[in-house]
Amino acid sequence: MNDVVNSTVRAAGVNIKDLRKSYGNNEVLKGISLTVEPGQVVCLIGPSGSGKSTLLRCVNLLEQPNAGTINVGKFEATDPDVDLNRMRQSVGMVFQHFNLFPHLSVLDNCTISQMKVLKRSKSEAGDVARRNLERVGLGHLADRFPDQLSGGQQQRVAIARALSMDPQLMLFDEPTSALDPETVGDVLAVMRKLAQEGMTMLVVTHEMGFAREVADRVVFMDAGVVVEEGPAENVISAPTQPRTKEFLRRVLDPTHIGVEEA
Amino acid sequence: MAMTARQRAKVSLYVQAGIFVVAVAAVIIAVDWKTVGTSVFNFAKIGPMFPDIFLVGLKNTLIYTALGFVVGLSGGLLLALMKLSSFPLYRWLATGYIEFFRGVPALLVFIAFGYGVPLAFGIQWDVNIIVMVSLGMVAAAYIAETLRAGLQAVPKGQMEAARSLGMPHWRAMVSIVIPQAFKIVLPPLTNEIILLTKDSSLIYVLGLTASQYELTKFGRDGISSLGAGLTPLLVAGAFYLVITIPLSLLARKFESRSARTKR
Repeated sequence: MNDVVNSTVRAAGVNIKDLRKSYGNNEVLKGISLTVEPGQVVCLIGPSGSGKSTLLRCVNLLEQPNAGTINVGKFEATDPDVDLNRMRQSVGMVFQHFNLFPHLSVLDNCTISQMKVLKRSKSEAGDVARRNLERVGLGHLADRFPDQLSGGQQQRVAIARALSMDPQLMLFDEPTSALDPETVGDVLAVMRKLAQEGMTMLVVTHEMGFAREVADRVVFMDAGVVVEEGPAENVISAPTQPRTKEFLRRVLDPTHIGVEEA
Repeated sequence: MAMTARQRAKVSLYVQAGIFVVAVAAVIIAVDWKTVGTSVFNFAKIGPMFPDIFLVGLKNTLIYTALGFVVGLSGGLLLALMKLSSFPLYRWLATGYIEFFRGVPALLVFIAFGYGVPLAFGIQWDVNIIVMVSLGMVAAAYIAETLRAGLQAVPKGQMEAARSLGMPHWRAMVSIVIPQAFKIVLPPLTNEIILLTKDSSLIYVLGLTASQYELTKFGRDGISSLGAGLTPLLVAGAFYLVITIPLSLLARKFESRSARTKR
């Protein structure tokens, strides 16, 4: 990993050690340690309020942790003197509610930070943006505005916007939770392709099917700690911890039919 | 026989319309039309007001308003950003400024800069400068609160998305947050311009030369020179409407447009 930026995926790893985060007296992360190797896909699962989104947001310092260390590629995110803007250029983030810039066209959403941050020319930024919009299957919508797109299309634009910065790591914060069911598949397909291309991905998700198929490792969190982690087939298909079993039973069989009586 | 709710509503409307007609009739009867004809609606004698009411009055009102608005908008933006700063001193300064200039009559501010500054510093400002500073500083206090509300109305996720893409805080503000905030505050901002247009008349407290007259002063001047009573003031008032009504229409257009793009 060095300063050279090129268009092939240069994957960076993540190393989190004993991370703690509190809001007032409420400790939401109670000493999390987690490693994502370059090129790996790790899915964070767990009930809401378990701290998985907070953990993800700590990785690019949208939340300031209280203790512990985070290393992202060559950057130590928790070093007070870290060049945060440089670090964030190499970390793409995809939000639950897309957070596209509504006053900019789809293309301009994908070019603005290339031009303002990476100082690329308008034509170069436009080329990169168009390539990434093609990558998510939306090259034909470059001139639209975000509010003219469906939720699934907006989320794919958000992915293209993040990819246009040539990130070495992608963070996904419940990327399909706010989508209509019929558009979820398109977004997951883009993420699957990205994983196959060797992107390092840390994904907070409730899509167990996606986690089982794509993730190298699955991490189950509850109440601010990692309860269980391992290969997807182990954690999702054959969990060992009671809390994991309970959670998966509720998620995989939301109606509880045939469970309450058992 | 008891009325239905619909009948009652209908009768109530007739009663309201009746009250309105009676009130208007009472005013028409009470007015001394003979005097009004010679000293309020005496349009026969106002010929000499033209074309200078355009070339001097309207022109200067527009110039004074524009000068005040430029200072008010840039000062207001600065104050709004200070008010939202994480640095307490900036917040206190902005709050103090806004409370002071919103609380003091604009007329006093004009007097302070028109007469106070020459006394205190021994310098005499040009009228344009006095208007720019006085009107601008009062406007900045009002516009700051409008812009602050607009900046806060931009969802937090916008700043987070911009920062996640590696933008420094100031860049995210300039390229992402402020443009969206301006879209939100366009209707109230247009109202600020309307208020400014009218407040520009306060410059009358300063000694103006004829070429510096704005609409109100121009009208007052006509009262003493034309012998048509208050009629020149009525004409000047109509010219304010020439400025403010199009602005109102513009504000309404912005409002319906932003309502349409909101999902």
